[in-house]
Amino acid sequence: MNYQFDLFFIANGLWPLLKGLVVTLELTVAANIIGLTLGFVIALLVMNPNPILRWPFTLFIEFFRCTPALVQIVWFFYCIPIIFDVYIDALTMGILAIGLNLAAFNAEAYRAAIQGVQSNQYDATVALGLSPFQRTVYVVLPQAFRSALPVLVANGIGAFQQTALVAIVALQDLMYMGKILATDTYRPIEVFTVIALIYFAISFPISQLVEYIERRRKAENS
Amino acid sequence: MELDFSVIFDYKAALLFGLLLTLKLTAICVVLGCALGFLVAIARSSKNKILYGVSTVYVALFRGTPVLIQLFWMFFCLPLVLGIELSNLTCGVIALTLYMAAITSETFRASFSFVSKEQHDAGIALGLTYRVHTLYVLLPQAMLRAAPTLLSNCTSLFKESALVSAVGMADLMFVSQNISNRTGHPVELLTAAAVIYFVIAFPITRAVTALERKILHTMAI
Repeated sequence: MNYQFDLFFIANGLWPLLKGLVVTLELTVAANIIGLTLGFVIALLVMNPNPILRWPFTLFIEFFRCTPALVQIVWFFYCIPIIFDVYIDALTMGILAIGLNLAAFNAEAYRAAIQGVQSNQYDATVALGLSPFQRTVYVVLPQAFRSALPVLVANGIGAFQQTALVAIVALQDLMYMGKILATDTYRPIEVFTVIALIYFAISFPISQLVEYIERRRKAENS
Repeated sequence: MELDFSVIFDYKAALLFGLLLTLKLTAICVVLGCALGFLVAIARSSKNKILYGVSTVYVALFRGTPVLIQLFWMFFCLPLVLGIELSNLTCGVIALTLYMAAITSETFRASFSFVSKEQHDAGIALGLTYRVHTLYVLLPQAMLRAAPTLLSNCTSLFKESALVSAVGMADLMFVSQNISNRTGHPVELLTAAAVIYFVIAFPITRAVTALERKILHTMAI
């Protein structure tokens, strides 16, 4: 291999990469806020006995889970402005696309967790005279959130990795900045390796945390 | 806004061509990825420190980075590192296979823990060699147990394969984006692409649920 490694180019391009990383993190945090809140609401709607409420959201979940995230993002960027005749800035659009995708995956996680809430808990809320709203927010949500947490965090990391896709629609995230830097400097190996390591350095500790939580739970239960 | 969905039928040959590449890529990488994933899973449960270390780092790296950057790395860096020309298809297959192997190795590893310790002892008592034990005792049971998750990994791979459009491979996503740019009908063509992906992935996810029920309840394992 006749390739001289030269990390000087990375040091030179550090500032744009940092700016890109900030965009990536903004996207991740905002998408996770949407995913965690909307996901719970959708899970409740999907479990609703009323088919008019249930069907559209079941379809929503299945559609987001069964099509590539890239197709969803490109679709949002090209089609939403045409169909709804609105202009939305790129960052908001990226947040919307990734957030809705995450909401669909989180809704499934919440649904499984809500089904796991024991029926005697429901009986207790009736006995205590709690309203359906109180029951949902104070009894079901905390328990469902707790048991869904490992999956929710794993999905959150997934969303963090998905944010790299917005580079394809020219939103200036870490991936996009890296692509530009690699092309400008003709140093793909250094740049792409460093970017991969940045993504890794963020997602790996969080995924280890999830495994730790799961291990501790298993130990608690046994 | 006026939508004209007839444009999809005008370009159906091109879309079909793209779909075929998507399916071909998925099929090749599913087979190679599952085989490699099984080997990696074995390496990760090995007592050999080097095997364990290398396979663990590999899985962590490929699960901890976006698939897009893995793909870019294989396209732009691997030919430089190896010093040889690699075709687009080769790079795509390498990238997606390595990704698939990383996620399936985790699936296999989880399924190994369901193959009980007694089976291992029985293998030793019967005087089975390591290779025979792995191939005829461990693999079939692990496969059965892992089948639902493996199938859903296949759907993930099928969806991730759309990323190769970003490096200019003419898959379904690339073709539909190209046609939509040329004809100015993004809504029709991108929706069509989404629906095609959905029509293929959705039945597989249903099959996963059915398989889970069948394996968990009927076979009681």
